[in-house]
Amino acid sequence: MEQLLTANVASSMYWLGRYLQRMEGTLYEINKAYDLIIDVDRKAGTLLYKKFDIDIKYVSAMDFLHKAIRGKHAANFGNLMLQARENAIISRAYIDSVAFGEIIALNELFQSMQTKRSHIDYNDLDKALSLIMIIWGAHAHRGHRKSSDYFFKLGKLVEEVDLRLRLGKEKSMTDLILKEINVAIKMLNPELDIFDNCPQEYIDELPYAMMECIYATIDKLIIEE
Amino acid sequence: MLEKSTKLHKKFWDIFAQQDRHKINEFQSYMDKFAVNFNLYKDGNFIEQSLPFDVIPRIISKKEFSKIEKGLIQRVTALNLFLEDLYTDAKIVKDGIIPKEFIESASGFLKEFVGFSPSKKVRTHINGIDLVKDSSDDEWVILEDNLRVPSGASYPLSIRDTYRKIFPDFFENLKIEPIKNYPKIITDAMEYVNTGGINVVLTPGRFNSAYYEHSYLAQEIGAQLVRAHELVVIDKKVYFKNYNGKKIQVGAIYKRLDDEFLDPKFFNPDSLIGVPGLVEAYLAGNVALMNAIGNGVSDDKGIYYFVPKMIEYYLNEKPILKNAPTYLPYFKEDMDYVMDNMEKLVIKDVAEAGGYGVLFGHSLTAIQIKDLKATIKAEPRRFIAQELIEFYDEKCFLDRKLQDRKADFRAYVVMGKDVKVWNCGLTRYALQEGNYLVNSSQGGGFKDTWVMEL
Repeated sequence: MEQLLTANVASSMYWLGRYLQRMEGTLYEINKAYDLIIDVDRKAGTLLYKKFDIDIKYVSAMDFLHKAIRGKHAANFGNLMLQARENAIISRAYIDSVAFGEIIALNELFQSMQTKRSHIDYNDLDKALSLIMIIWGAHAHRGHRKSSDYFFKLGKLVEEVDLRLRLGKEKSMTDLILKEINVAIKMLNPELDIFDNCPQEYIDELPYAMMECIYATIDKLIIEE
Repeated sequence: MLEKSTKLHKKFWDIFAQQDRHKINEFQSYMDKFAVNFNLYKDGNFIEQSLPFDVIPRIISKKEFSKIEKGLIQRVTALNLFLEDLYTDAKIVKDGIIPKEFIESASGFLKEFVGFSPSKKVRTHINGIDLVKDSSDDEWVILEDNLRVPSGASYPLSIRDTYRKIFPDFFENLKIEPIKNYPKIITDAMEYVNTGGINVVLTPGRFNSAYYEHSYLAQEIGAQLVRAHELVVIDKKVYFKNYNGKKIQVGAIYKRLDDEFLDPKFFNPDSLIGVPGLVEAYLAGNVALMNAIGNGVSDDKGIYYFVPKMIEYYLNEKPILKNAPTYLPYFKEDMDYVMDNMEKLVIKDVAEAGGYGVLFGHSLTAIQIKDLKATIKAEPRRFIAQELIEFYDEKCFLDRKLQDRKADFRAYVVMGKDVKVWNCGLTRYALQEGNYLVNSSQGGGFKDTWVMEL
């Protein structure tokens, strides 16, 4: 599995995985909130974005979609996508070519949604989710054999945990993902373990602070000089 | 003016006529999706744009290409001998073939490297030689030698790949030379000069105009794509910094930046894209650089004038491919001719590239001609003048209709153990009708080049 990789590429693969997963995870949550806003809970969108530390205001379900996708906030999909694309360009040589093409297509889709004239509906969200699925699928098709693939996978898993901890999702599944993260990290450096030097109460209760243990391990994994 | 249509062209158009025109849109979107980009800095702003391309390929018969191939092998062999000679014994100067002061005044001549011979005495590893086909006599003419950092080879590779996916009929029914061997040719050349260690492609970074190409080629040749700070020189040896802190020795660097930025300890101290200590490692023979430092002297348009003489001097052969008729105002006889005929000549600044510094006499006003004459008289070494060559147009499918555009051809010649000419190249066309400048940096587009036989 030994593969030469600059710290820049390793980091880009990791962040590409994170941004794609962030968009995917958030889109699923937006879909759920959109459905609730229609006739169950008008505040569902506000509550969701509060967990991302974002104050979002909307007047209808459709308006929520617009504000979530292209509002001026840290989770704006146009910006998230630009970050993903940038990381994909830097690590292009390590990405499946179909996956790369779909990242460019996904960027086109999200950028087209950023103009005020464009109308956004659930179809766009479905289309974006389909493209993300294709990206994961195309990349997984390579098989997780190389270091670059493990960095990509690691980014995806870390983001999954991040979202689950923010949203307070069920612990047993989060535990499983944390174990998967550890497997990926050990493939890259057998001497590292996210649970080493991590406070026991973090491991037992999984507060959001658990992310600190993960980040500390990744800092040891990718050595930037 | 279009080249006379041949049986090969007819075969192409017969198949083209049967193609669904919607496939052209499919072609466009496929190319866009895979982001064949060319970055530009305009008015201080970074602009990332798709490189314009055309779906109609240039067709060159295998027989015709074979002559080009022989001519290019001859030319690059002579240029390599010239550079090796120039930086060691300089016999060509001592024998009076090229004036000493002409060499010494070339900005690309680096006297600090006199006496150094690179790995296997190869200096011209990857070369882009620009040609046009003269409509007056149907002969190919060399316009320029690019022996420093020629770019563009990834574009025909990308467009060919797209072509094969969208229009397989052509490749099933026509005898088109395959081109996928280019990365292998480069790898072989790298391995030949490698001094022991891994191969890397050194890029200035993400915002360089040809970053797409750097990334593409690194992937295709199986080399690491690195920026300067991802390499380190220790004890005159170059090392690649792996993500886990390990350092792996580098044996060959395909550098995609100009000499002056390569090493801040040796060249421009302000360079942020160079590797400190790299030149020392190179001079110690511990790493091969592709292309060699100091090749800029042969890209000097004034030196171009002497290439036919180099071929005769080093190889004792007549040049197979001719130069455009060129005048050096440096010589009095040529200066007189240039002054008397400026309106019909093309004037070029010897140190410029990418279509910059090119002036067409016929498009200048009387005042501009007068000013230019004064400038040339004041700095004769800085300019060359060439007869305007009416080179052929190529058919291009632009704005949903067939249109004629001036087109040149950049051939890629790679030197390792042998000199090899890639069976393809970069055909560049001008975006505006009648424009002679086809360079990407001047807004020109590109198309595939098919070397075909019946």
